[in-house]
Order: sequence, then C-alpha cells, then structure tokens
Amino acid sequence: MIQYLIMCRSLTYAQKASKALERSGITASIVKAPQALSTGGCAYAVSIRNRINDSIVILKRYDIPTGKIFARSSDGNYSEVQL
Amino acid sequence: MIYLDSAATSLIKPAGVEQAVVNAMRTMASPGRGGHMPAMKAAETVYECRSAIAKLFNVPEVENVVFTFNATHSLNIAIKSLTRKGGKTLISGYEHNSVTRPLYTIGADVKVIGKELFNQENMLNELQENIHDAELVVCTHVSNVFGYILPIYEIAEKCKDFNVPLIIDASQSAGVLNIDFKKLGAAFIAMPGHKGLFGPQGTGVLLCNSKADTIMEGGSGSDSQSPLMPAYLPDMLEAGTHNVSGIAGLLAGIKYVKEKSVDIIFNHERRLLDKMYEELHGSDYELFYTQQNCQSGVISLRHKKLDCEELAQQLYDAGICVRSGLHCSPAAHESAGTSETGTVRFSFSPFVSDTQLDYVCRILKQIS
Repeated sequence: MIQYLIMCRSLTYAQKASKALERSGITASIVKAPQALSTGGCAYAVSIRNRINDSIVILKRYDIPTGKIFARSSDGNYSEVQL
Repeated sequence: MIYLDSAATSLIKPAGVEQAVVNAMRTMASPGRGGHMPAMKAAETVYECRSAIAKLFNVPEVENVVFTFNATHSLNIAIKSLTRKGGKTLISGYEHNSVTRPLYTIGADVKVIGKELFNQENMLNELQENIHDAELVVCTHVSNVFGYILPIYEIAEKCKDFNVPLIIDASQSAGVLNIDFKKLGAAFIAMPGHKGLFGPQGTGVLLCNSKADTIMEGGSGSDSQSPLMPAYLPDMLEAGTHNVSGIAGLLAGIKYVKEKSVDIIFNHERRLLDKMYEELHGSDYELFYTQQNCQSGVISLRHKKLDCEELAQQLYDAGICVRSGLHCSPAAHESAGTSETGTVRFSFSPFVSDTQLDYVCRILKQIS
C-alpha cells in the first residue's frame, strides 16, 4: 500500500489536518517529515495510506493549508504527487 | 487556612490538575521537536489544550491560541505589536502594571479614561470623547483590585466603529465571565492560565486576531533553516520549549471550568461577595461594593483606623490569606482614591464555602 505524506507548515497545522481527516473517517498520523522533503528544515507531515484525493478536498474544505504531497514507493523513494 | 487570594493565583486547584502535571512530567517530552512517542504525546496534550481554549473562548482557528508563560508575557507581546512611541493609547483607569509599564516603556502617549469606580457609563462616555484620534485601546475586563467589570462588549463595538485595535486583559475574567473572542473582535486577548482557569503558575495564553511581533526568538521546531521565526502562528510566538507539564495541568483546569460552567462559578463568587457586604456594611470597614451587576468575586475594603498591612497580618494570624497594598495596580487605586492607604483585597473562587466566609466575617468583626 502506498504511503502518502502531506507536508504541513508546522506541527499545529499537521495536527489540525490530521484531526480533520480523522473526523472524516480517514486514518491519518503525524510524522516528522524526511529532511530531503522539507524545504526549510524541520517539518511535520500527515501520513495517510489511501484516499489522497478525498483528503485534499477535505483539507481545502476546512481551509487548512498544506504543502507538497509525496508518495513513498515500495523501494522507499519519495516522489511528488500532482493532483 | 482559608484562601481568599485567588485574584493573585488559584492556590486551591480542582482534583486532576496536580495528577495531570505529574503525569506529564513523567511521560511527556518536548512537542514539535522529536517524532518519538513521548514527544508526540506532549504534542497531543498541547494541541488538546489549545483546542479546549479555542472552544471555551470561541476562537475559530486553533492556531490563534498561543501559549505564553503568564498574562504579563501575553500583554507584552500584544502591546509591543500594536504600540509605537508617541502613539495615542487609551487605557481604563483600572489597568495593572502589566499594561501600564510596557506602554510607558515604549513611550506611548497614554490617556487614562473611565476613572469612576463601578460607573460603566463614565467609561463609555469618555471612550466616545477620546477614541477619534486613538491608535490603540487597552482595557482590563475586570479590575484586579475592585472586581469592577468593564463594559467590554460595548467597548469592543466602539473600537470596531472607529477601526481602533483593542487589547483586552482578561486576567481576572477568564474562567469567571463569558468571553467570546469572535464576537468581541479584539486584536488580542491576554490571560493567565493559573487564575480562573486553574492551571499551574507559568502558564499564560494569548488569543490573536492581529499581526504580532516577536519579543523573543529561538527554536520552534519548524522552518529551522530560516534565521527568523516562522511567520505563522502559533510557532511565531512560541520560541523555546513549552511548559508542557503546566499546559497539561491547565487542560485539567479548563475541563473543570467547562464541567462546572462559567455562569455557575460567577454566581457562586458573586453570592459570596453580596453576603460579605451584608455582613459587614455599617461596621468599621469601608467596603468597595456595588449592588449593580458590574462586580465579580473580588472586593476591597479599608478599616477606618487600622493600616491595611496590619489588618492583613491580623487576618493571616487567624488563618485567612488575603492581599493588601496596591496590588500592582497603582492606577486603579489612584482612580478609586485609595492610593494613600491601599486596600485589603478578598478574592473568591469556587472552592470558598459559606462556612469559611462566615468565619472570615466573624474575625473581621472581632478586629473591628
């Protein structure tokens, strides 16, 4: 199963995003973003396993800002996802 | 011991606060730093407390709730974000030094309005007369010396009419009176966590509705490569390690306030206030009291002959804790005409019983 990382500007925003997704029935967890993916240093991301399109719609509906979205393939590499 | 100094800090805490602090000290690390379980557990507690505060005060966005270390810290951020040297700033006649000292340090052009005690009309009239060229209004919701409730919703409406930012000092009202952040539309509302919200000392809150400037910079766990603080809340104003154990205790305190309800807490304290007045009026004490609905559970008094410090000592000898002097609010005493003598302040909480108050009144009569 693909892991998606939705980059967030801060821990609080990641928490806000995670709570909004959980309320909508999408299992989400907060992780420290890999350094290679974060542009400004330390960052947090919301990790989900499915329903990436629904997730973005939900976060937009709640007006929660997000950064880039990455998908982690089975070999451990990340690639940016354009939705 | 009977504790009647809750306007300074809530010594008597609800069950659960102490346990929450101990639990946090044993199990929680620093939020926003690591990704390990103790760090994430701390992050979850901080977020839960932020959310509880947002809900209690009707703050639409949780990130606009900023944790500080006390109300003074919050007020310094707010005032220093919105004031400049020479900027005309209106303040009520009942401000604490945590408002007046930052303003005078900056060199703001401070004008004091509404000096008449328990006269909301006086406050509103003088606001109307002076607001046209003001750059900022800073107003306490409740006087820490006299319990005088300022007409904060009317003041907020007037500030909106003239497009003047408003900073509210809710040090004595948070947890005691209903505060609707969205309805008020204030630029900032500052409050301690350790008074009416029953958290530990070292906790404070700033509700933000305006652009803020930092007064302290450091690690935030975000945008680490930037030489500046992040430009977004709450990270921008929360430099350094959070007081996680304090915030965990604050969360337990807020849960108590929600369960008990702000209205019930206010009514209990107000009833004690009325009872104290009924017991003591006509005695050797001058009580600063109003029957109008503009006084919370704080009352000051003076003995006709006895110095206020001596009276407070005699009360303490009888096991009663009160605060005497100027209460870090010389402006309030100047407004009420009590600068020369100071007063003895009695401040109630939900944990003060009728039996305790009966004892206090009996001792006061004996001293009299």
